[in-house]
Amino acid sequence: MAEHQPAPDEERREFREERESLWRITLAPATWAVHFVICYAAAAVVCAKAPDSIGTLRLGIGALTLLALGLIGWLGWRAWVQWDVRTTGDYRNPLGEAEDRHQFLGHAAVLLSVISALGVLYVALPALFIRSCG
Amino acid sequence: MERRAAHARTPVGRSMEPTERDRDRVLPGARAGSVLLGLSMLAACEGRQSVLAPAGADARVLGDLFMVMLVGAVVLWLSVNGLFFYVTRINPAALSKRFANGLIVGGGLLLPSVVLAGLLGYGLSIMPDQRAPGDGLTLRVRGEQWWWRVEYWPEGADAPIVSANEIRLPVGQRADILLDSARVIHSFWIPALGGKMDMFPGRETRLSLHPEKPGRYRGQCAEFCGTSHALMAFEAVAMPPEAFDAWLRQQEAPAAAPATAQGQRGARIFAREGCGACHTVRGTKARGLVGPDLTHVGSRLSLGAGTLGTTLADYETWIAHTGTVKPEVEMPAYDHLDPADRADLAHYLKALE
Ligand code: HEC
Ligand SMILES: [Cu+2]
Repeated sequence: MAEHQPAPDEERREFREERESLWRITLAPATWAVHFVICYAAAAVVCAKAPDSIGTLRLGIGALTLLALGLIGWLGWRAWVQWDVRTTGDYRNPLGEAEDRHQFLGHAAVLLSVISALGVLYVALPALFIRSCG
Repeated sequence: MERRAAHARTPVGRSMEPTERDRDRVLPGARAGSVLLGLSMLAACEGRQSVLAPAGADARVLGDLFMVMLVGAVVLWLSVNGLFFYVTRINPAALSKRFANGLIVGGGLLLPSVVLAGLLGYGLSIMPDQRAPGDGLTLRVRGEQWWWRVEYWPEGADAPIVSANEIRLPVGQRADILLDSARVIHSFWIPALGGKMDMFPGRETRLSLHPEKPGRYRGQCAEFCGTSHALMAFEAVAMPPEAFDAWLRQQEAPAAAPATAQGQRGARIFAREGCGACHTVRGTKARGLVGPDLTHVGSRLSLGAGTLGTTLADYETWIAHTGTVKPEVEMPAYDHLDPADRADLAHYLKALE
């Protein structure tokens, strides 16, 4: 950082970007959470009110799952680019510089995307195996 | 649970077998404790109330699941600790960064994800069969405090055959079991035959069981439901289909009139003491619904939901020391009856086969 003199507005822009990517790392887990709530609520309502529609419900959960996985995949890909581990070869980003912070947020978001994708898959598995309400 | 049952019996003169207490005296404290623990754990592997001695299709599948999990857990434990031993004792040099990263991604991310997905898929694939529809016979079981109200609905029946505190099922068929409860949550469990299912007041749950080996097993309430929860058990009998049909026909019939003079005296005492306000004996004036149906109580294999045996002495004990044998039950103790009356009553009940 020492030799590089940032323009004052560049610093502000960077800060704003960081703030956004701070939000972005929560998006994959949030997708997982929304998928979870919709699946459970829909299954509860359908099985209580219209157990015969379980086939439609299972298809719906399948579609929602693909959608959620797509979204998480896209978020994960963006985070991967931000992490930029391929070009920097830096796994851990240990320094407290802006660039390191930027890449670290990408790193964290990649890992969160992976766990969120797994969570979505596991939540959806019962709909694959269980064909009736009771 | 067995232990509490044994305690409840002692005050009324049943001798405890020379088991746990005596061994305690021989061995010094802590060692005796662990030996006992080991012994009782081994003893739990067989016997008529064990998930590890399956006698039904569902219990067999669950037993396999358990073995898979157990073996898997042992393999994982050995691998993790073996690896730990390797890097701390055998080869304590620093690992290459590449290898370490590989270990984290492979062992920390890929392996658990794949293993968990596999186990989840395996577990979920078992579930539908555990709830498969039955072959015709339906049982309705309601949890009471602390006993079981049981109805048998053979295929096409429009009235149930009422019984209590015992479950009998034909071998080689799947029976539907519909569960609910009167006041609090109970859980219906025959470990040798299948998984457990909770019983809720006002909500019906379903279970189906497919016994494979004829025999006498034991069921137990598996959800704490009050003072005598531990004494809320039952005998579960898996029978060859013809024997089951014969048994069910016998249960359907009204009570046989007492054949002996003592039995007739017992029947009169039963009426005089007002037992019929709580108990039904079909074919007599006793129509009560508070307690278990006693029409064929003499054919049951236990008394008080698995609390006592079925000797005449057990009947007398139950009648005279109800609340001592089984704390807080809704039946008063008839300790004011004189011994002769009590004996007559016991004769009458035991002959209700
Ligand atoms: C206030 C109601 C009430 C009265 C009166 C009553 N009982 Fe009971 N009885 C019960 C209840 C409730 C149970 C179940 C207790 C348990 O196991 O938790 C029971 C259980 C029994 C059982 C065991 C049944 C089984 O399936 O194991 C017998 C036998 C019995 N009563 C006999 C009698 C006799 C004989 C009398 C009259 C002298 C009598 N009862 C009076 C409520 C009553
Ligand atoms: Cu109970």
